[in-house]
Amino acid sequence: MRADLDFIVEREEFSLRCEASYAEGIHLVSGIIGSGKSTMALVMASLLKCEGSYSAKGVQRTILSMQFPEYHITSSSVDDEVRSWGLDPADVLPHAGMEGRGELDPFKLSRGQLKRLNLACVFALDPDILLLDEPFSSLDCMVKTRICKAIESRRNKITMVFSHERSVLPRVDSISHIAEGRLVCHGATPDAVSEWSSPPPYLRKALENGARPRNITLQDSMEALCTIRD
Amino acid sequence: MISVRGMIHHLIDIPRLDVSGQRVALIGPNGAGKTTFLEVLAGMDRLREGSVSILEKHPGDVKVGWVGEFPDRTMLFSRVCDEVASSLRFTKVEMKEADRMVLETMAMLGRPDLLTRYTSSLSGGEKALVAFAAAIVNSPDILILDEVDSHLDEATVRMIADTIHRSGIPTLFCTQDMDRAATADNVIFMKGGKVEAVGPPAEVFAPLRDGCFYPSLWRLSQ
Repeated sequence: MRADLDFIVEREEFSLRCEASYAEGIHLVSGIIGSGKSTMALVMASLLKCEGSYSAKGVQRTILSMQFPEYHITSSSVDDEVRSWGLDPADVLPHAGMEGRGELDPFKLSRGQLKRLNLACVFALDPDILLLDEPFSSLDCMVKTRICKAIESRRNKITMVFSHERSVLPRVDSISHIAEGRLVCHGATPDAVSEWSSPPPYLRKALENGARPRNITLQDSMEALCTIRD
Repeated sequence: MISVRGMIHHLIDIPRLDVSGQRVALIGPNGAGKTTFLEVLAGMDRLREGSVSILEKHPGDVKVGWVGEFPDRTMLFSRVCDEVASSLRFTKVEMKEADRMVLETMAMLGRPDLLTRYTSSLSGGEKALVAFAAAIVNSPDILILDEVDSHLDEATVRMIADTIHRSGIPTLFCTQDMDRAATADNVIFMKGGKVEAVGPPAEVFAPLRDGCFYPSLWRLSQ
Protein backbone atom coordinates (compact mmCIF):
# COMPACT_ATOMS: atom_id res chain seq x y z
CA MET A 1 0.00 0.00 0.00
CA ARG A 2 1.18 3.46 -0.77
CA ALA A 3 -0.22 7.01 -0.81
CA ASP A 4 1.57 9.38 -3.19
CA LEU A 5 0.99 13.11 -2.90
CA ASP A 6 2.14 15.69 -5.40
CA PHE A 7 -0.37 18.52 -5.43
CA ILE A 8 -1.15 22.17 -4.72
CA VAL A 9 -4.34 23.57 -3.21
CA GLU A 10 -4.87 27.31 -3.62
CA ARG A 11 -7.72 29.56 -2.52
CA GLU A 12 -7.64 33.28 -1.76
CA GLU A 13 -4.55 33.86 0.37
CA PHE A 14 -4.14 30.21 1.31
CA SER A 15 -1.94 27.73 -0.47
CA LEU A 16 -0.69 24.27 0.37
CA ARG A 17 1.97 22.32 -1.49
CA CYS A 18 2.33 18.63 -0.68
CA GLU A 19 4.98 16.35 -2.10
CA ALA A 20 5.25 13.16 -0.11
CA SER A 21 4.83 9.43 -0.09
CA TYR A 22 3.42 7.38 2.77
CA ALA A 23 3.61 3.59 3.10
CA GLU A 24 2.03 1.34 5.76
CA GLY A 25 2.54 2.77 9.22
CA ILE A 26 1.59 5.67 11.44
CA HIS A 27 2.38 9.13 10.13
CA LEU A 28 2.06 12.28 12.20
CA VAL A 29 1.35 15.61 10.48
CA SER A 30 1.68 18.72 12.65
CA GLY A 31 1.25 22.41 11.91
CA ILE A 32 -0.22 25.54 13.48
CA ILE A 33 -3.92 26.42 13.15
CA GLY A 34 -4.93 27.23 9.59
CA SER A 35 -1.71 25.78 8.15
CA GLY A 36 -3.54 23.21 6.02
CA LYS A 37 -3.72 19.99 8.07
CA SER A 38 -7.45 19.54 7.43
CA THR A 39 -7.02 20.57 3.78
CA MET A 40 -4.41 17.85 3.26
CA ALA A 41 -6.75 15.32 4.95
CA LEU A 42 -9.63 16.38 2.67
CA VAL A 43 -7.51 15.88 -0.47
CA MET A 44 -6.43 12.42 0.73
CA ALA A 45 -10.12 11.62 1.34
CA SER A 46 -10.88 12.76 -2.26
CA LEU A 47 -13.25 15.37 -0.85
CA LEU A 48 -11.34 18.37 -2.18
CA LYS A 49 -10.06 19.08 -5.67
CA CYS A 50 -6.40 19.86 -6.09
CA GLU A 51 -4.00 20.69 -8.85
CA GLY A 52 -1.58 17.86 -9.41
CA SER A 53 -2.10 14.32 -8.28
CA TYR A 54 -3.01 12.19 -5.34
CA SER A 55 -2.94 8.43 -5.74
CA ALA A 56 -3.44 5.57 -3.32
CA LYS A 57 -2.00 2.29 -4.61
CA GLY A 58 -3.35 -1.01 -3.33
CA VAL A 59 -5.96 0.85 -1.29
CA GLN A 60 -9.60 -0.19 -1.36
CA ARG A 61 -11.02 1.97 1.36
CA THR A 62 -10.10 5.37 2.81
CA ILE A 63 -11.95 6.87 5.77
CA LEU A 64 -11.70 10.39 7.19
CA SER A 65 -12.55 11.19 10.80
CA MET A 66 -13.22 14.93 10.81
CA GLN A 67 -12.04 17.40 13.45
CA PHE A 68 -15.58 18.28 14.48
CA PRO A 69 -17.39 14.99 15.13
CA GLU A 70 -20.82 16.64 14.86
CA TYR A 71 -20.20 16.95 11.09
CA HIS A 72 -20.46 13.16 10.87
CA ILE A 73 -23.95 12.90 12.37
CA THR A 74 -26.58 11.57 9.94
CA SER A 75 -29.06 9.88 12.29
CA SER A 76 -31.31 10.78 15.18
CA SER A 77 -30.13 8.08 17.59
CA VAL A 78 -26.73 6.77 18.63
CA ASP A 79 -27.72 3.24 17.51
CA ASP A 80 -28.74 4.43 14.03
CA GLU A 81 -25.58 6.51 13.83
CA VAL A 82 -23.48 3.35 14.32
CA ARG A 83 -25.67 1.44 11.81
CA SER A 84 -25.12 4.24 9.27
CA TRP A 85 -21.47 3.14 9.18
CA GLY A 86 -22.66 -0.43 8.43
CA LEU A 87 -21.78 -1.55 11.95
CA ASP A 88 -23.63 -3.29 14.78
CA PRO A 89 -24.16 -1.04 17.84
CA ALA A 90 -23.66 -4.03 20.16
CA ASP A 91 -20.09 -4.41 18.85
CA VAL A 92 -19.17 -0.74 18.72
CA LEU A 93 -20.77 1.01 21.71
CA PRO A 94 -18.65 -0.76 24.38
CA HIS A 95 -15.53 0.62 22.63
CA ALA A 96 -16.99 4.13 22.85
CA GLY A 97 -17.85 3.67 26.55
CA MET A 98 -21.50 4.10 25.59
CA GLU A 99 -23.24 0.80 26.35
CA GLY A 100 -26.95 1.24 26.98
CA ARG A 101 -26.97 4.73 25.49
CA GLY A 102 -28.07 3.70 21.99
CA GLU A 103 -31.38 5.55 22.27
CA LEU A 104 -29.77 8.95 22.87
CA ASP A 105 -29.89 11.79 20.35
CA PRO A 106 -26.31 12.26 19.05
CA PHE A 107 -26.72 16.04 19.29
CA LYS A 108 -27.35 15.67 23.05
CA LEU A 109 -23.90 14.11 23.56
CA SER A 110 -20.89 16.09 24.73
CA ARG A 111 -18.17 16.68 22.17
CA GLY A 112 -15.93 14.14 23.97
CA GLN A 113 -18.67 11.47 23.74
CA LEU A 114 -19.29 12.25 20.06
CA LYS A 115 -15.58 12.00 19.33
CA ARG A 116 -15.38 8.63 21.09
CA LEU A 117 -18.40 7.36 19.15
CA ASN A 118 -16.95 8.47 15.82
CA LEU A 119 -13.50 7.01 16.55
CA ALA A 120 -14.99 3.68 17.70
CA CYS A 121 -16.82 3.46 14.33
CA VAL A 122 -13.85 4.33 12.11
CA PHE A 123 -11.49 1.95 13.95
CA ALA A 124 -14.08 -0.85 13.71
CA LEU A 125 -14.18 -0.42 9.91
CA ASP A 126 -10.39 -0.90 9.78
CA PRO A 127 -9.90 0.96 6.47
CA ASP A 128 -6.67 0.72 4.43
CA ILE A 129 -6.11 4.45 4.88
CA LEU A 130 -7.43 6.09 8.03
CA LEU A 131 -7.21 9.89 8.15
CA LEU A 132 -7.58 11.19 11.71
CA ASP A 133 -8.06 14.98 11.87
CA GLU A 134 -7.37 16.08 15.46
CA PRO A 135 -8.40 12.71 16.95
CA PHE A 136 -7.40 13.74 20.49
CA SER A 137 -9.28 17.04 20.83
CA SER A 138 -11.91 17.04 23.61
CA LEU A 139 -10.78 13.66 24.97
CA ASP A 140 -9.44 13.05 28.47
CA CYS A 141 -6.04 11.43 28.92
CA MET A 142 -7.46 7.95 29.62
CA VAL A 143 -9.39 7.93 26.34
CA LYS A 144 -6.42 9.46 24.50
CA THR A 145 -4.27 6.57 25.75
CA ARG A 146 -6.83 4.05 24.43
CA ILE A 147 -6.96 5.82 21.05
CA CYS A 148 -3.15 5.71 20.87
CA LYS A 149 -3.28 1.92 21.37
CA ALA A 150 -5.90 1.61 18.61
CA ILE A 151 -3.71 3.70 16.29
CA GLU A 152 -0.60 1.68 17.12
CA SER A 153 -2.41 -1.58 16.35
CA ARG A 154 -2.78 -0.47 12.70
CA ARG A 155 0.89 -1.01 11.78
CA ASN A 156 0.04 -2.86 8.54
CA LYS A 157 -2.33 -0.15 7.28
CA ILE A 158 -1.78 3.54 6.55
CA THR A 159 -2.79 5.86 9.40
CA MET A 160 -2.39 9.62 9.11
CA VAL A 161 -2.64 11.55 12.38
CA PHE A 162 -3.19 15.30 11.87
CA SER A 163 -2.74 16.79 15.31
CA HIS A 164 -1.23 19.37 17.61
CA GLU A 165 -1.76 17.23 20.70
CA ARG A 166 0.64 18.21 23.49
CA SER A 167 0.53 15.41 26.05
CA VAL A 168 -0.61 12.00 24.82
CA LEU A 169 0.76 10.87 21.45
CA PRO A 170 1.12 7.44 19.79
CA ARG A 171 4.44 5.96 18.67
CA VAL A 172 4.75 6.97 15.02
CA ASP A 173 6.78 5.84 12.02
CA SER A 174 7.25 9.23 10.42
CA ILE A 175 6.78 12.93 11.17
CA SER A 176 5.76 15.68 8.75
CA HIS A 177 5.08 19.34 9.46
CA ILE A 178 3.16 21.97 7.49
CA ALA A 179 4.57 25.49 7.60
CA GLU A 180 4.27 28.47 5.26
CA GLY A 181 2.11 26.61 2.78
CA ARG A 182 4.37 23.61 2.43
CA LEU A 183 4.44 20.08 3.77
CA VAL A 184 7.91 19.24 5.07
CA CYS A 185 8.70 15.59 5.71
CA HIS A 186 11.10 15.15 8.61
CA GLY A 187 11.47 11.47 7.65
CA ALA A 188 11.25 8.28 9.68
CA THR A 189 11.61 7.93 13.43
CA PRO A 190 13.90 7.84 15.39
CA ASP A 191 15.92 10.32 13.28
CA ALA A 192 12.89 12.52 12.63
CA VAL A 193 12.30 13.07 16.38
CA SER A 194 15.10 15.61 16.79
CA GLU A 195 14.33 17.18 13.37
CA TRP A 196 10.70 17.94 14.29
CA SER A 197 10.10 21.69 14.38
CA SER A 198 7.09 21.65 16.74
CA PRO A 199 7.57 18.99 19.42
CA PRO A 200 5.25 18.90 22.45
CA PRO A 201 6.63 20.64 25.59
CA TYR A 202 7.94 17.44 27.25
CA LEU A 203 9.78 16.35 24.11
CA ARG A 204 11.23 19.83 23.64
CA LYS A 205 12.49 19.72 27.22
CA ALA A 206 14.02 16.26 26.75
CA LEU A 207 15.77 17.36 23.55
CA GLU A 208 17.03 20.56 25.22
CA ASN A 209 18.54 18.39 27.95
CA GLY A 210 20.50 16.46 25.34
CA ALA A 211 18.32 13.33 25.37
CA ARG A 212 17.67 11.45 22.13
CA PRO A 213 14.21 9.88 22.49
CA ARG A 214 13.50 6.96 20.12
CA ASN A 215 9.98 8.17 19.52
CA ILE A 216 7.57 10.95 20.48
CA THR A 217 5.67 9.57 23.49
CA LEU A 218 6.23 10.83 27.03
CA GLN A 219 7.52 7.35 27.88
CA ASP A 220 10.22 7.67 25.18
CA SER A 221 11.31 11.06 26.53
CA MET A 222 11.47 9.73 30.11
CA GLU A 223 13.50 6.69 29.07
CA ALA A 224 15.91 8.80 27.01
CA LEU A 225 16.44 11.17 29.95
CA CYS A 226 17.10 8.23 32.28
CA THR A 227 19.81 7.00 29.91
CA ILE A 228 21.74 10.26 30.12
CA ARG A 229 21.24 10.60 33.88
CA ASP A 230 22.67 7.12 34.53
CA MET B 1 -13.11 33.59 42.58
CA ILE B 2 -15.77 30.88 43.02
CA SER B 3 -18.02 30.04 45.93
CA VAL B 4 -20.57 27.20 45.89
CA ARG B 5 -23.10 26.13 48.54
CA GLY B 6 -25.32 23.07 48.31
CA MET B 7 -25.23 22.82 44.53
CA ILE B 8 -27.31 20.01 43.05
CA HIS B 9 -27.73 20.35 39.30
CA HIS B 10 -28.13 17.51 36.79
CA LEU B 11 -25.35 15.09 37.81
CA ILE B 12 -23.42 17.72 39.78
CA ASP B 13 -23.38 17.52 43.55
CA ILE B 14 -21.10 20.06 45.26
CA PRO B 15 -22.00 20.71 48.93
CA ARG B 16 -19.34 23.38 49.44
CA LEU B 17 -16.50 24.90 47.41
CA ASP B 18 -14.39 28.02 47.81
CA VAL B 19 -11.63 28.76 45.31
CA SER B 20 -9.52 31.88 45.02
CA GLY B 21 -6.86 32.97 42.54
CA GLN B 22 -6.34 34.92 39.34
CA ARG B 23 -6.15 31.75 37.22
CA VAL B 24 -8.17 28.69 38.17
CA ALA B 25 -8.02 25.42 36.20
CA LEU B 26 -10.83 22.85 36.05
CA ILE B 27 -9.77 19.30 35.19
CA GLY B 28 -11.32 15.85 35.13
CA PRO B 29 -12.34 12.99 32.83
CA ASN B 30 -14.94 13.32 30.04
CA GLY B 31 -18.43 13.31 31.52
CA ALA B 32 -17.34 14.66 34.92
CA GLY B 33 -19.75 17.61 34.62
CA LYS B 34 -17.10 20.25 33.91
CA THR B 35 -19.01 21.97 31.09
CA THR B 36 -22.30 21.92 33.05
CA PHE B 37 -20.52 23.49 36.03
CA LEU B 38 -18.92 26.19 33.86
CA GLU B 39 -22.27 27.01 32.26
CA VAL B 40 -23.83 27.65 35.68
CA LEU B 41 -20.86 29.79 36.76
CA ALA B 42 -21.11 31.76 33.51
CA GLY B 43 -24.78 32.47 34.18
CA MET B 44 -25.87 30.52 31.09
CA ASP B 45 -27.91 27.97 33.00
CA ARG B 46 -30.12 28.47 36.06
CA LEU B 47 -29.08 26.50 39.10
CA ARG B 48 -31.67 23.93 40.23
CA GLU B 49 -30.67 23.78 43.90
CA GLY B 50 -28.15 25.65 46.02
CA SER B 51 -26.21 28.82 45.28
CA VAL B 52 -23.08 29.87 43.42
CA SER B 53 -21.19 33.12 43.25
CA ILE B 54 -18.36 34.22 41.02
CA LEU B 55 -16.15 37.21 41.80
CA GLU B 56 -18.40 37.48 44.88
CA LYS B 57 -21.44 38.23 42.72
CA HIS B 58 -24.39 36.36 41.30
CA PRO B 59 -23.33 34.93 37.87
CA GLY B 60 -26.00 37.05 36.16
CA ASP B 61 -24.37 40.24 37.43
CA VAL B 62 -20.91 39.45 36.10
CA LYS B 63 -19.68 40.37 32.61
CA VAL B 64 -18.41 37.00 31.41
CA GLY B 65 -16.20 36.37 28.37
CA TRP B 66 -17.19 32.83 27.39
CA VAL B 67 -15.64 30.44 24.89
CA GLY B 68 -17.42 27.09 24.62
CA GLU B 69 -16.25 23.69 23.47
CA PHE B 70 -18.05 24.05 20.11
CA PRO B 71 -16.57 27.28 18.64
CA ASP B 72 -17.97 26.17 15.31
CA ARG B 73 -21.56 26.19 16.55
CA THR B 74 -21.47 29.53 18.34
CA MET B 75 -20.43 31.74 15.40
CA LEU B 76 -23.20 34.30 14.81
CA PHE B 77 -21.90 36.32 11.88
CA SER B 78 -20.49 35.54 8.47
CA ARG B 79 -17.54 37.94 8.62
CA VAL B 80 -14.78 37.62 11.21
CA CYS B 81 -14.73 41.38 11.89
CA ASP B 82 -18.46 41.31 12.76
CA GLU B 83 -18.06 38.20 14.90
CA VAL B 84 -15.27 39.74 16.98
CA ALA B 85 -17.21 43.03 17.27
CA SER B 86 -20.47 41.35 18.30
CA SER B 87 -20.35 42.01 22.06
CA LEU B 88 -19.33 45.64 21.42
CA ARG B 89 -22.22 46.20 19.01
CA PHE B 90 -24.73 44.51 21.30
CA THR B 91 -23.73 46.94 24.04
CA LYS B 92 -23.88 49.89 21.60
CA VAL B 93 -20.23 50.87 21.68
CA GLU B 94 -19.65 53.58 19.10
CA MET B 95 -18.74 52.10 15.68
CA LYS B 96 -15.33 53.74 15.30
CA GLU B 97 -14.36 52.80 18.82
CA ALA B 98 -15.60 49.24 18.25
CA ASP B 99 -13.53 48.93 15.05
CA ARG B 100 -10.47 50.20 16.89
CA MET B 101 -10.94 47.68 19.73
CA VAL B 102 -11.47 44.82 17.28
CA LEU B 103 -8.32 45.65 15.35
CA GLU B 104 -6.32 46.08 18.57
CA THR B 105 -7.49 42.69 19.88
CA MET B 106 -6.67 40.82 16.69
CA ALA B 107 -3.29 42.56 16.48
CA MET B 108 -2.58 41.52 20.06
CA LEU B 109 -3.37 37.94 19.04
CA GLY B 110 -1.03 38.28 16.08
CA ARG B 111 -3.75 37.58 13.50
CA PRO B 112 -5.17 40.90 12.14
CA ASP B 113 -5.21 39.13 8.75
CA LEU B 114 -8.21 37.05 9.87
CA LEU B 115 -10.46 40.15 10.05
CA THR B 116 -11.11 40.21 6.30
CA ARG B 117 -12.03 36.51 6.20
CA TYR B 118 -15.44 34.85 6.27
CA THR B 119 -16.05 32.72 9.36
CA SER B 120 -17.02 29.81 7.10
CA SER B 121 -13.53 29.83 5.57
CA LEU B 122 -11.75 29.51 8.93
CA SER B 123 -10.05 26.32 10.07
CA GLY B 124 -11.25 24.70 13.31
CA GLY B 125 -8.41 26.23 15.31
CA GLU B 126 -8.89 29.67 13.76
CA LYS B 127 -12.56 29.53 14.79
CA ALA B 128 -11.49 28.91 18.38
CA LEU B 129 -9.09 31.86 18.18
CA VAL B 130 -11.82 34.15 16.77
CA ALA B 131 -14.23 32.99 19.50
CA PHE B 132 -11.56 33.90 22.06
CA ALA B 133 -11.06 37.33 20.48
CA ALA B 134 -14.84 37.94 20.64
CA ALA B 135 -14.81 36.97 24.32
CA ILE B 136 -11.96 39.28 25.36
CA VAL B 137 -12.62 42.30 23.11
CA ASN B 138 -15.12 43.95 25.50
CA SER B 139 -12.86 43.65 28.59
CA PRO B 140 -14.98 41.14 30.54
CA ASP B 141 -14.80 40.84 34.35
CA ILE B 142 -13.78 37.21 33.95
CA LEU B 143 -12.92 34.80 31.13
CA ILE B 144 -14.48 31.33 31.25
CA LEU B 145 -12.85 29.01 28.70
CA ASP B 146 -14.10 25.48 28.08
CA GLU B 147 -11.25 23.40 26.61
CA VAL B 148 -10.42 26.05 24.05
CA ASP B 149 -6.84 24.78 23.96
CA SER B 150 -7.94 21.41 22.59
CA HIS B 151 -8.41 23.10 19.20
CA LEU B 152 -5.14 25.02 19.25
CA ASP B 153 -1.44 24.47 18.64
CA GLU B 154 1.22 25.12 21.24
CA ALA B 155 2.30 28.52 19.86
CA THR B 156 -1.28 29.85 19.71
CA VAL B 157 -2.03 28.57 23.22
CA ARG B 158 1.01 30.44 24.51
CA MET B 159 -0.04 33.63 22.72
CA ILE B 160 -3.52 33.43 24.24
CA ALA B 161 -2.00 32.86 27.69
CA ASP B 162 0.24 35.93 27.23
CA THR B 163 -2.70 38.04 26.06
CA ILE B 164 -4.74 37.04 29.13
CA HIS B 165 -1.80 37.71 31.42
CA ARG B 166 -1.27 41.22 30.01
CA SER B 167 -5.00 42.00 30.21
CA GLY B 168 -5.07 41.13 33.92
CA ILE B 169 -8.52 39.50 33.52
CA PRO B 170 -9.21 36.64 35.98
CA THR B 171 -9.59 33.33 34.13
CA LEU B 172 -11.38 30.09 34.87
CA PHE B 173 -10.37 27.48 32.30
CA CYS B 174 -11.17 23.86 31.74
CA THR B 175 -8.39 21.87 30.06
CA GLN B 176 -7.19 18.36 29.24
CA ASP B 177 -3.60 19.64 29.17
CA MET B 178 -2.23 18.98 32.65
CA ASP B 179 0.96 20.97 31.97
CA ARG B 180 -1.21 24.03 31.46
CA ALA B 181 -3.43 23.25 34.46
CA ALA B 182 -0.24 23.08 36.54
CA THR B 183 0.43 26.78 35.80
CA ALA B 184 -2.84 27.89 37.48
CA ASP B 185 -3.04 29.34 41.00
CA ASN B 186 -5.57 26.70 42.00
CA VAL B 187 -6.89 23.53 40.39
CA ILE B 188 -10.32 21.91 40.75
CA PHE B 189 -10.43 18.18 39.97
CA MET B 190 -13.95 16.96 39.16
CA LYS B 191 -15.12 13.39 38.69
CA GLY B 192 -18.66 12.00 38.37
CA GLY B 193 -20.22 15.38 39.20
CA LYS B 194 -18.26 15.78 42.43
CA VAL B 195 -15.22 17.86 43.36
CA GLU B 196 -12.56 15.27 44.19
CA ALA B 197 -9.83 17.76 45.06
CA VAL B 198 -9.19 21.48 45.09
CA GLY B 199 -6.10 23.54 45.90
CA PRO B 200 -2.71 24.58 44.54
CA PRO B 201 -1.43 22.38 41.65
CA ALA B 202 1.21 20.63 43.80
CA GLU B 203 -1.46 19.49 46.28
CA VAL B 204 -4.07 18.43 43.74
CA PHE B 205 -1.67 16.56 41.45
CA ALA B 206 0.33 14.75 44.17
CA PRO B 207 -2.23 11.92 44.65
CA LEU B 208 -2.78 11.71 40.86
CA ARG B 209 0.80 10.73 40.16
CA ASP B 210 0.05 7.12 39.21
CA GLY B 211 -2.57 8.03 36.60
CA CYS B 212 -2.46 10.11 33.45
CA PHE B 213 -3.95 13.22 35.11
CA TYR B 214 -0.47 14.40 35.98
CA PRO B 215 1.61 17.11 34.24
CA SER B 216 4.01 15.47 31.79
CA LEU B 217 6.68 18.10 32.43
CA TRP B 218 6.61 17.23 36.15
CA ARG B 219 6.94 13.54 35.37
CA LEU B 220 9.94 14.32 33.20
CA SER B 221 11.74 16.16 36.00
CA GLN B 222 11.48 13.24 38.41
